[in-house]
Amino acid sequence: MLLEHLAGNLIQGLVLGAIYGMATMGLSLIFGVLKVVNVGHGAFIMVGAFITLWIFNALGLNPIFSIPIAFAVGLGLGLIFYSLAIRKLLKAPELSTLLATFAIGILLEELVKLIFGSEFRGYNWVVGKINLGVTVLPVAKLYACIGSIIIALLLYLWFNRTRAGSAVRSVVEDDEGARVCGVNVGGVYALSFAIGIGLTVASGVLVTMFIPVGINPYMGGGYTLKAFVIAVLGGLSSPYGAFFGGLIFGIVENGSYTLFALIPGVEPFALTRFLSFVMLLVILLIRPTGILKAK
Amino acid sequence: MKGRFSLIAISLVVILVFIFSSSLWAASKIVIGHPACLSGKYAKAGEQALGGVKACVDWINNVYGGVKIGGKKYLIKYKYYDCESKKESVTSLIGRLITVDKVNVVFAPYSSGLTLRGAPVAESHRMLYMDHGGANNKIFRQGFRYIVQTIGPASRYHEGTLDMIHKIDPAAKRVALAYEDSEFAKMVMEGAEAHAKKLGFNIVFKRTYPKGVTDLTPLLSAFKGAKPDFILGGGHFEDGQLFNRQMADLDINVKALSLIAAATLPAFYKALTSMAEGVMGPSHWEYGVKYSESRAKKAGLPWIGPTQDGFVALFKKAIGKNIIPDYHAAEAGAQVLAYVLAAKKANSLNSDKIRAALGDLKFMSFYGGWDIDDTGLQIGHSMVDVQWQMGKRVIVWPPEGQTGKLVYPMPTFAEKAKGKLAVPR
Repeated sequence: MLLEHLAGNLIQGLVLGAIYGMATMGLSLIFGVLKVVNVGHGAFIMVGAFITLWIFNALGLNPIFSIPIAFAVGLGLGLIFYSLAIRKLLKAPELSTLLATFAIGILLEELVKLIFGSEFRGYNWVVGKINLGVTVLPVAKLYACIGSIIIALLLYLWFNRTRAGSAVRSVVEDDEGARVCGVNVGGVYALSFAIGIGLTVASGVLVTMFIPVGINPYMGGGYTLKAFVIAVLGGLSSPYGAFFGGLIFGIVENGSYTLFALIPGVEPFALTRFLSFVMLLVILLIRPTGILKAK
Repeated sequence: MKGRFSLIAISLVVILVFIFSSSLWAASKIVIGHPACLSGKYAKAGEQALGGVKACVDWINNVYGGVKIGGKKYLIKYKYYDCESKKESVTSLIGRLITVDKVNVVFAPYSSGLTLRGAPVAESHRMLYMDHGGANNKIFRQGFRYIVQTIGPASRYHEGTLDMIHKIDPAAKRVALAYEDSEFAKMVMEGAEAHAKKLGFNIVFKRTYPKGVTDLTPLLSAFKGAKPDFILGGGHFEDGQLFNRQMADLDINVKALSLIAAATLPAFYKALTSMAEGVMGPSHWEYGVKYSESRAKKAGLPWIGPTQDGFVALFKKAIGKNIIPDYHAAEAGAQVLAYVLAAKKANSLNSDKIRAALGDLKFMSFYGGWDIDDTGLQIGHSMVDVQWQMGKRVIVWPPEGQTGKLVYPMPTFAEKAKGKLAVPR
């Protein structure tokens, strides 16, 4: 029975972890290239969730179709916010970009609230379930997991097999050196910020495919917190490191529940959170570059 | 010359009359101050509370004819600010309402946490602090002297549900409790556990989950193994939706599911559609309750306020939306009525005197009964249990308040996925 629970939770954790990873890749990409900590990260996830909700309810379209739409909206938002605010603050003290992204997050939340209201919303996309014996997995969650893996792979290929990807990697390594070699560093910044936001907004779609309820303007806060832990886990400036960080986080979060439940008199959920942050501290202390990145 | 003198004299008289009358006007207002949750996580409940207060203020001013105190007629003015559902805003806004706006009474914001946060500020100003959205009994165990509750206490939320299942299915003995790790929800769980044990139920699962949880799968998988007959749980709106949705995802079927705070709101069904069929929730008030002037007379209680339909009409006018109010609106509105009755009884606007009058006050309104104990805890109000049936909320408990029969056991999630609705036999 115990092993059955553990196996079930690990499978659920793996699926959730893939989505957590995808939801963190944008944060890592932006930090890696621009050294900007996007505190408004969760608000962009929320935008993706609302795009899905709107497309599903108004147009009756399958949430999978929302992924490219959300990515495109995210790209647009990224370019707008980069041009209006971030570009001008890149040389300013770090606190300025921190405050700017915080303000962008609040702006988005209040704007969405103005349009959709503060109600907690949801949609009901029934596409069946798979009974794995140890747990039941809704097909929508499986699609979300597969979608995350495909997007992570595409990002990996873009990074490693295209000229634009090489330019981004060169800026991550040394922006001055890249400039000397003729790389348009300003363009790379704009592109990276836009792709980072695009990925984050698209991850909002996948989040709702995993949990299609609780969609509201302030839903992003919890995801921002988790994204920071995952980003540190995978290496703050490594987007695919963040993806694997997400997988580890999801597995640890869900799997540890079963084990903590064996301890009498404790609330396992409280301990899973405790463990997540202990993990964060340990990684910061012994391997600050993240578990997947060389020292 | 004489004409000029007359003109000056008349002008002076007009100015004096204006100043005098405006000072009279200013003095004839009772100001209710409220750090309302109009944005942030409690915005939905906050909007309802705002509408409820405005509806009853409208009724007092325009139907009841204001409040007569010491032979003088007072109209009620409602002064509110958005506290953004944040604790730090609540304390500063209460301070502002008392010291700058000079309000006569402060209405607490929504939720137990925010209510508790504001209580010491009101207390330090010896200001009456009326609680319409903080159900946690612990608020009333802190020794505060100026706080008075209208919402029913958390410890009683699931008593009706347990009584109902005990009566209709004596064979159902296995109950699982899974609540949010918040002061309010834990108090509900404490009360449910005590009542369940009193009625002879076996608690086969008891766990909490953290606030802001985004995945309940580990907890729900764990209680699947406990094979409960029914589940009581929840905390606030977002986790209630998640609870129901993930039970459906994991195919966990029980005879009854009752979730606090979430299941009674229209948005719950809107988000979950058929997955919410048959799900229940305790409510402080529901459209369809049968409180009336004649019922108050039978109970030997004074009646005040609009009828149920009157309240609904005033609420719609107040918020400018064609929606039926929920219990957040009703309890906030009933609080206005309690204050007015107590102020009249005290024949004063002094917080100490009104607090004393509230202690002796018993009445009935569209919201139901109202009575408090020495600590200010609400003891006169009974809750109802509602169930989603064919997309509508139906009052299924207590028997004397039923608007429909309980669907028990509720349809399984597989049946609901195929479109089966909770239809009473």
